[in-house]
Amino acid sequence: MDVWLGAARAAAALNVVLLVGLGYVWLDNYREHRARHTLGLLVFAVLLFVQNVLWLYFYVLHPDFIAWFVNSGTDVRAGVTLLCGLELGALVFLGRITFT
Amino acid sequence: MEGVLWYLLASSRGGSTRARIIRALEERPRNPNQLAEKLGMDYTTIRHHLDVLVENNVLRRSGDEYAAVYLFTDRTEAHWETVEEVLETVEGDE
Repeated sequence: MDVWLGAARAAAALNVVLLVGLGYVWLDNYREHRARHTLGLLVFAVLLFVQNVLWLYFYVLHPDFIAWFVNSGTDVRAGVTLLCGLELGALVFLGRITFT
Repeated sequence: MEGVLWYLLASSRGGSTRARIIRALEERPRNPNQLAEKLGMDYTTIRHHLDVLVENNVLRRSGDEYAAVYLFTDRTEAHWETVEEVLETVEGDE
């Protein structure tokens, strides 16, 4: 398997896991306190969750997308992988604040 | 600062505990042992939450000695209206 495709799949999958964890904390806190700030974070988590599930669908289940991806140049493969990869970095930082 | 307060007290996992610590310190400055006793919680848990609050410039230590008490930073005092709003939200259903 193409190493970039593997990295992109892993990043999208990790994002989904992190967003479930973050979403769980925020949902729990929102149910308890009804703070608008927490609701905002919850909406943010839900939207990014949908986005990453979409990415996973393309990366894992969509033959045309996968064929386009692996036949693209390194710039495109690296760039598209970074879309989820950079988001993973951002979510890890957010996780470090949220789970303390 | 408002965002930090909402995050630390209402939106993160240890928020409720940190809100209780803020209330206890509002009554009077206390050291970790006194806080642990007052809130009926483990000393290490209290220390962890105090560290988080200090790292985020919500609280400061009165000195370096062992029994140092924790005080609010000037920044927190300046945003006390927000602190009250967050605490009232967090304490709402308890």
